[in-house]
Amino acid sequence: MNVRNNNSEKCTRALFALADVIDPEIGLNVVDLGLIYRIDFLEEEKKIEVDMTLTTQFCPMGESITNNVSRAIAQKFQEYAVNLNLVFEPPWDPEMITTEGKKFLGNN
Amino acid sequence: MISGNIQKTTSHQIVLPFYLYAALAFLSACAMLYLFTDSFHFHHFNPKTLAVVHTMALGWATMMILGASYQLVPVLIEGKLYSESLAYLSFVSAAIGIPILVYGFYVFDMGWPLRTGGILVNVAVLLYLINLGKSLLDSQSKNIHAIIVFTAMLWLLATTLLGLLLVYNFGTKILSRDSLSYLSIHAHIGIAGWFLQLVIGVGSRLIPMFLISKYTNQKLLWQVYALINLALVLFIMFDLLSLDSSLFYVPLGMVLLAMGQFGSFVYKAYQQRIRKKVDEAMQLSLLSVVMIALPLVVLLVFILVVNFFTPMGNLANVYGFLIFFGWLTAIILGMTFKTLPFIVWNKVYHKQATDQVTPNPKDLFNEGIFKISALSYLLGFVIFSIGLMARTDILLQTGALLLLCTAILYNYNVFKILLHKTKK
Repeated sequence: MNVRNNNSEKCTRALFALADVIDPEIGLNVVDLGLIYRIDFLEEEKKIEVDMTLTTQFCPMGESITNNVSRAIAQKFQEYAVNLNLVFEPPWDPEMITTEGKKFLGNN
Repeated sequence: MISGNIQKTTSHQIVLPFYLYAALAFLSACAMLYLFTDSFHFHHFNPKTLAVVHTMALGWATMMILGASYQLVPVLIEGKLYSESLAYLSFVSAAIGIPILVYGFYVFDMGWPLRTGGILVNVAVLLYLINLGKSLLDSQSKNIHAIIVFTAMLWLLATTLLGLLLVYNFGTKILSRDSLSYLSIHAHIGIAGWFLQLVIGVGSRLIPMFLISKYTNQKLLWQVYALINLALVLFIMFDLLSLDSSLFYVPLGMVLLAMGQFGSFVYKAYQQRIRKKVDEAMQLSLLSVVMIALPLVVLLVFILVVNFFTPMGNLANVYGFLIFFGWLTAIILGMTFKTLPFIVWNKVYHKQATDQVTPNPKDLFNEGIFKISALSYLLGFVIFSIGLMARTDILLQTGALLLLCTAILYNYNVFKILLHKTKK
């Protein structure tokens, strides 16, 4: 997992919250799928900037997944506003799946 | 706030009626197959067989493909569907046209039923072609998958237009030969040009996606594309010029080679998959890839071996059955449960948070019923195929009854998904 961030402690808590957001088709959470690229905490503005991607730009579940990511972080950090940017650069690649994610998918 | 390029998928209101219609058409076709087993002893150009074939080809396979492609082609072309209204109109036109056409075949009336049904089906196909063609032109990604799919659509239009022309040719001589002599072209441009190419175009993108496989091979897909289309052009030329029948082995060999290459593409994608656990729906879809070549292999065996011992009267029946009830049905039975639960899940839950209250899309249908229907299907398919080749009534009836059971169970699961609502 290689999520860029400016606050590792809060980022870890955010990722913990995101472990409950599952891609319904694959059954794996968005963190282990490697969909989360960046989580920055802007303390002065009380904002959280999240960069994430989808497995494909026209993913039929895209709206549902991004809504759930935004909602999960907002619930964890209620004093912050969440700004989620959906990005496709770099494009998602199966190699971005974490070791735990690959194990979940049957790779030992 | 969520920013970035979040693409809206095609509305479920457009896609779901196609799934519902196709499921009911499959049930009707299986019921007809059971009631008309005696007709499969005769030449394939008889009213009951034609009614079953067109219910399967148009009502089941084409309606399902049209509906699924309105949802999936935007994924392939990385662009949105041009018009949902055109998509809905295509459904209405096909939904009215197909039963009229099937009725026309059943009563063998080459007059108003076949002409009206044929015109409505052609209008539906034309609307489909305009809609997806415009979507493709507007999209930024014109990849090999999209090109294969678009070419398949052109062959679909060619198939339905020729079909309509043949209907009119029965009453008024428009073509140089009688309509029966063009049936082979009508059937093969539909089977290889439309169904085979569409399955390859969509499958080569979606199978690696579902398996989470990095494997891709654009060069190989271009070769497959060239082989199939060249084979079709040669086939039409040889047929129209009434050339020696041995020449037909050339396009046959080219299509077999293309199928083999697509098979190797899928096999390599399967080998390099990250998702090791493959669910039952995907397993059935993968099995259908193996079943692609079955009709042609059986055709060759019949011609080269069996022909020496038995008359070939029902060869076309065997060939058609293997295609429509074998390969195409297997792929649709599998892919229904890889797509429909997600469309309905999205409709019901897309605004609801993912937590323990939200079911998994796979929970929207009964997996036990799916397994029984898959088993019933495979048994029914094998038994009916043997019955056709051995010309044994009891095997034909048993196989047809098992396929009817499959259709009932399939419809049960489709309705269970379509009627799914949130628990209060």
